[in-house]
Amino acid sequence: MDIFANLAHGFAVALSPINLLMCLIGALVGTLVGVLPGIGTIATVAMLLPITFGLPPVGALIMLAGIYYGAQYGGSTTSILVNIPGEATSVVTAIDGHQMARQGRAGPALAIAAIGSFFAGCVATVLIAVLGAPLTKLALAFGPAEYFSLMVLGLIFAVVLAKGSVLKAIAMIVFGLLLSMVGSDIETGASRMAFNIPELADGLGFATVAMGVFGFAEIIRNLDAGAEMSRDLVQQKITGLMPTKKDLIDSTPAILRGTVLGSILGILPGGGATIASFGAYTLEKKLARDPSRFGRGAIEGVAGPESANNAAAQTSFIPLLTLGIPPNAVMALMVGAMTIHGIVPGPQVMQKQPDLVWGMIASMWIGNLMLIIINLPLVGIWVRLLRVPYRLMFPSIVIFCAIGIYSVNNAPVDVILAGVFGLVGYWLIKHDFEPAPLLLGMVLGPLMEENLRRALLISRGDWSVFLTRPLSAVLLAVAAGLLVLTVLPSLRSKRDEVFTESEN
Amino acid sequence: MADTMGHSATATRNTRLALGFCLLAIAPQIFELIWSIGTIFGWGAGRGPGTVLTSHVTALLAGAPSAIFGSFGGGTKKMSSEVLLALIYTYPLLVVAILTLFMTVRSAQDYVGGVVLMAVALFALWAGSDLQGMRGFSFGAGTAPRMFSGLLVALSAAIALTGLLTDGPAMAHYSWRGPLFVVAAILFFALAIRPLGVVVTAFISFMIAATGSQETRWREAVIVGACLTLGCAILFPYVLGLPMPMLPRFLIQ
Repeated sequence: MDIFANLAHGFAVALSPINLLMCLIGALVGTLVGVLPGIGTIATVAMLLPITFGLPPVGALIMLAGIYYGAQYGGSTTSILVNIPGEATSVVTAIDGHQMARQGRAGPALAIAAIGSFFAGCVATVLIAVLGAPLTKLALAFGPAEYFSLMVLGLIFAVVLAKGSVLKAIAMIVFGLLLSMVGSDIETGASRMAFNIPELADGLGFATVAMGVFGFAEIIRNLDAGAEMSRDLVQQKITGLMPTKKDLIDSTPAILRGTVLGSILGILPGGGATIASFGAYTLEKKLARDPSRFGRGAIEGVAGPESANNAAAQTSFIPLLTLGIPPNAVMALMVGAMTIHGIVPGPQVMQKQPDLVWGMIASMWIGNLMLIIINLPLVGIWVRLLRVPYRLMFPSIVIFCAIGIYSVNNAPVDVILAGVFGLVGYWLIKHDFEPAPLLLGMVLGPLMEENLRRALLISRGDWSVFLTRPLSAVLLAVAAGLLVLTVLPSLRSKRDEVFTESEN
Repeated sequence: MADTMGHSATATRNTRLALGFCLLAIAPQIFELIWSIGTIFGWGAGRGPGTVLTSHVTALLAGAPSAIFGSFGGGTKKMSSEVLLALIYTYPLLVVAILTLFMTVRSAQDYVGGVVLMAVALFALWAGSDLQGMRGFSFGAGTAPRMFSGLLVALSAAIALTGLLTDGPAMAHYSWRGPLFVVAAILFFALAIRPLGVVVTAFISFMIAATGSQETRWREAVIVGACLTLGCAILFPYVLGLPMPMLPRFLIQ
């Protein structure tokens, strides 16, 4: 069996002391980010990109991956104990998890969240290992036309899964595509929309924009609401982590369903951990025999979403590793991390860099194991961190972000640009535009343009090539179908329902 | 009575919106003018404010109309970038501003969002206007930017339209204190990191950012800022090995 040989190789790589250390650091930082509200995964990964310069590529990617799935664990802790979701992915966990904590059952809630996450993490790890090779083979059959159509499909998925107006989400994607075109043209070398500013000749840095739109904008927005967020800590001691037998029986099917749903949503381009947890919560509520229990401390409402977000966080590596297409903004930053180390993401990575791919996959399982230990016995420490007031946290985050961006290129202009994009992001939030599709558009922009040009060059300017090649036609048809479905009123109300779930 | 009051309220609101859009329409020209003032003091190369002002004013008042009528006469004279800016960016936005006066805006959030996004798209259309288009069946450098700017113009127009046709939220409340001080801290950091080094820059930026919240307690902020600066000064250059100036340049020399 190839898979076992590969996995064994991966574990050999991941268990080396330096990689274990990287994995632990990633898991710790991820938990920290997940616990602290006001700083998200995207901003953190962007901030830590320059740090990975000095690391070996495998260690660097293991650490960055650890931050992403570690944040899913950390987010659940504060959601349950304090009713403050540290991450968007844990918003729904707060609904039932915090109710359980109020009823004195914080321990079981935390335990089930961790067990569910761990189970989902294990399944997702195996899934990546199993799906990796066949998808890579499929990817080799892809020509430029297919790649272009696949990216269109991914962007449409992002629209469907984004909350709010479909029109605005599409506009954000196109805005992102447009931003990606600033700088030198790949084929002709002509300087595009750079206004003779030398720093723009290379294009807008993705990390810079991400940090502005997600890091700085978030801080500015939080200041609007008043720096002092209400934090009524659950003060009583957490007694007894062990869930009862009934808890386990109730939550097992929820964990299984959450894992399946999360894995699927993670693989789809444009999906990701946030939508997975929302979807899982809605699913549990629909399937429950007594839906009224939800919102009053139903353990399925914790088990389902927590498994789903962790599964999705990990399976979203599949399109990146096999097709070289980042399905969400965090994965886009991973592309940045890979390119820093001279690795071009795509089907060839599996063959050329087995250490990297399998080491990373194995490290995910090890990381999940570490996270259980980090989160369950040490939960008291993380909760204490929440007492750090936001008035001290936000200037620190500003400084860390600024130093982080500066050190990517040692360019002060990058810092100014990030500040500008912080204001842009603030404006977007105020006008109810989602920033996530913008980033996805910006990442996929160069890839899309390149493949579009290549496809049209090969077909000698014939646009019908996208419809005559069967694979490409199928992908485009799915995209069109999805878009039509989203606009239909009946589905639209359902989609709104998923997103308003957190508000009641 | 209540009806007329409501009407006059929307009227003043629309006038303000229209004025805002007019300002947006000439924002690039104003920006270039302010930028060009620097050349008086010898910062940067470029045209002086006088030339910038006259070229834009002539482009806005005379150049563009003559270019339109000239094109009917079959003239293929190459248009200057000022005239193009006026034609592609300023005129369409002025038209939108005038139209705004006669509209009932039902959702200011969507309408303003759409119009500003349209301005961005038009500006991108202008910025890419000097690039080469299609060469036979192969894309030129400017083809894709033009395609996507065009698409964004259409989409943002649709968003603005939804703001006119469907009810929705009004403009959200903007506060000034948070954005101002956070951006000031970032700007200070960018400008000071090279000459002043990490230690001084990080601490001062921390204090500027901390001013952005009313709840800041100064003694506490100074202590945390000092600790953070110390931590950064050890972490980034030594532990992570990132090259960074530590102390102000004048102290080292």
